[in-house]
Amino acid sequence: MAMLENRRKKNLVALSMVAPFVIVFAVFFLYPTLKMFELSFTNAPLIGDGEWVGLDNYRRLLGDRIFKTSLWNNAYFVLLTVVPTTVIALGIALMINRLSGRLQALVMVLFFLPYVLPVSVVTQIWAWMLDFQFGVLQPVIAVFVGKPVAVFKNPDWVMPMIAAVTIWWTNGFNVLLFIAGLRNIPSELYEAAALDGATKRQQFRRVTWPLLWPVTALVLTLQLILQLKIFDQVYLLSGGGPFNSSFVLLMQVYREAFQLNHGGYSSAVATVLFVLIAVVSVLQFQLLRIGGRR
Amino acid sequence: MKALGRLLAVSAISAVAAPALAQTEVIWWDFLSGGDGVRMKALIEDFNAQHPDIQISGTTLEWGVPFYTKVRTSAAVGEGPDVMTYHLSRVPLGLEEGVLSPITDEDLQNAELTTDDFFASSIEAATSDGELYAVPFDIHALILYYNKALLEGSAWLDADGNLTGIDSLEDFEAALAWLKDNGVETPLTFQTGGAGGVWRVFYTLLSQQGGEFIVDGEVLPGDNAEKAANAIDTMARWQQNGWIPEQAEYEASVALYGSGEAAFQLNGVWEVPTFNDMEEKGTLGFGWGAVEIPPLMGQAASWADSHAFAIPNEGDDTVSGEKRAAVMTVIGWMEQNALRWADAGHIPAYKPVADSAEYAAMEPNATYASLADNTAFDPPSTITGVASPTYDTALNIISPAIHGYFSGAEAVEQIKAELQAMMQ
Repeated sequence: MAMLENRRKKNLVALSMVAPFVIVFAVFFLYPTLKMFELSFTNAPLIGDGEWVGLDNYRRLLGDRIFKTSLWNNAYFVLLTVVPTTVIALGIALMINRLSGRLQALVMVLFFLPYVLPVSVVTQIWAWMLDFQFGVLQPVIAVFVGKPVAVFKNPDWVMPMIAAVTIWWTNGFNVLLFIAGLRNIPSELYEAAALDGATKRQQFRRVTWPLLWPVTALVLTLQLILQLKIFDQVYLLSGGGPFNSSFVLLMQVYREAFQLNHGGYSSAVATVLFVLIAVVSVLQFQLLRIGGRR
Repeated sequence: MKALGRLLAVSAISAVAAPALAQTEVIWWDFLSGGDGVRMKALIEDFNAQHPDIQISGTTLEWGVPFYTKVRTSAAVGEGPDVMTYHLSRVPLGLEEGVLSPITDEDLQNAELTTDDFFASSIEAATSDGELYAVPFDIHALILYYNKALLEGSAWLDADGNLTGIDSLEDFEAALAWLKDNGVETPLTFQTGGAGGVWRVFYTLLSQQGGEFIVDGEVLPGDNAEKAANAIDTMARWQQNGWIPEQAEYEASVALYGSGEAAFQLNGVWEVPTFNDMEEKGTLGFGWGAVEIPPLMGQAASWADSHAFAIPNEGDDTVSGEKRAAVMTVIGWMEQNALRWADAGHIPAYKPVADSAEYAAMEPNATYASLADNTAFDPPSTITGVASPTYDTALNIISPAIHGYFSGAEAVEQIKAELQAMMQ
């Protein structure tokens, strides 16, 4: 009896401890998400209820040119950012790892600083540096292509440039994850490998890379989720242009909801993005885990 | 201690209650920043000083989509303002959203106004199904600024140094070519790399051909498509000939004129105070003027929009009773004092002010005020107007076409495909 009471008490304590999170999660995430699913089956405006229209919104999506363009642009952006930023972060982390003491701390701070900046500041800095008439980077571009380029108005340049800005901005966090991962690898392993005559390259391939794989998989997955959600940089740098060459899914959600007052249709786009991110990231993480085990 | 607490509470209540008994507070939202904002704040202060019984409590919010989204959400839950500024081009979407409370005849009487006091085009843009939804305050339009120093020695200045002899596209392009030949790097400037500037010039050129952007829910039907393509091709030709700046952002486009590098500028009336101020301070360095855009494509027309006053719905309710009367008093007073708003370049929509001797003495305002009879307001549609998808199209499709990415006809095809899909 006493034990039963004890357990009940324990359960109560446990419940009271998870309750704050569960409540906040349910009210501010779960409920709105379910509401979004519901909205996507209606013709609701931005505010207020609409009529149930079944799968109409989704059927309309299939024939929506902008939606297809956005989908493709999202994929292109993921291609431009996820693997490059991971590789760059790993490289930087390996280099920082060779430093020590104050110098290491200083270099780490330097790489982490951009991550601290809000997106509006980041885009403003780059918009000025790349300004067509007055940007300090235009002479650099002119060296390579022979003339200044209005990068955010040029269909070939716009996405790679936004990707470069994004990598510059968010890379510090990935560097930090990699450094943490590198520090977790016991130094005895390197000593033993060195004793066995392994070269630096072999040490990286046989010790660092496999032991770092869980972190690499994590970084890749986090990046995938983050970059599929691209919105701010596009909105602030190019507005989705020129001729939709940088128009992404969240831009469409924004336009349909806030500019056109189509809450239902906008929710349908958001739902597709939500499902897409969930499926792709779970799939990717599983694949990477299998890849790591081999 | 208790007594002291009670005393404090009582005095606190009376401090709040005493003025509230005698005063009606009018919550006011606007999106006016820069020179516009300064002038509007001065007007509000003066109103408050002259009206002990009504106090305006003003808030300035971010122009464009953020402003209209906030109005929309706050009106839905009854937390909106009592009165707000509103673009007439945005009225159709406002009606669909159910944000706007109709202005009744009684309201107008309280403001001592009638619809006949205003330019007909502005009242028309504020009216839907016979009901008035906003009280126009100004008409702001695209005008042609010119630099007298750069045009000196050409055939396009008369004896008094005023612009003359530009009555067609040939005249205008001849002037641009003459300027280019005489070493002017940028004969004409406007915001070629941004949504607003491109849309305003495009819509002006379209309207001057008698073209309509939306007819019965269809984007650019029939020969309107050719007229639109013609407008875009004209702008593209200016670009090819090096007459307009490449991918200029708004600030850069204004700076090109203000620094004396560009001879002409196509921009809104709201930049008039900028150059007036510079001239006063002696930093402008050249004589300048501004006129209604000549009928380049055949007939006179200038893109125009209008700042207006509107009363939002509050949930299922709306501002009513004494408060509503106070709001109308505010609107009426603002219209009577619109001359000080005209100082910001805008043409008063209220004709008694626009026709007054004081206004006639304002330059260059009085010169370009002739455009009030030839205004081309954005078509009444939920996809056009300030910060609308149509503006996005100007940046997304028309601007690249100007810069040679594709022809006017191809651009029109894309515009039609993109906007028509949103018309449902």
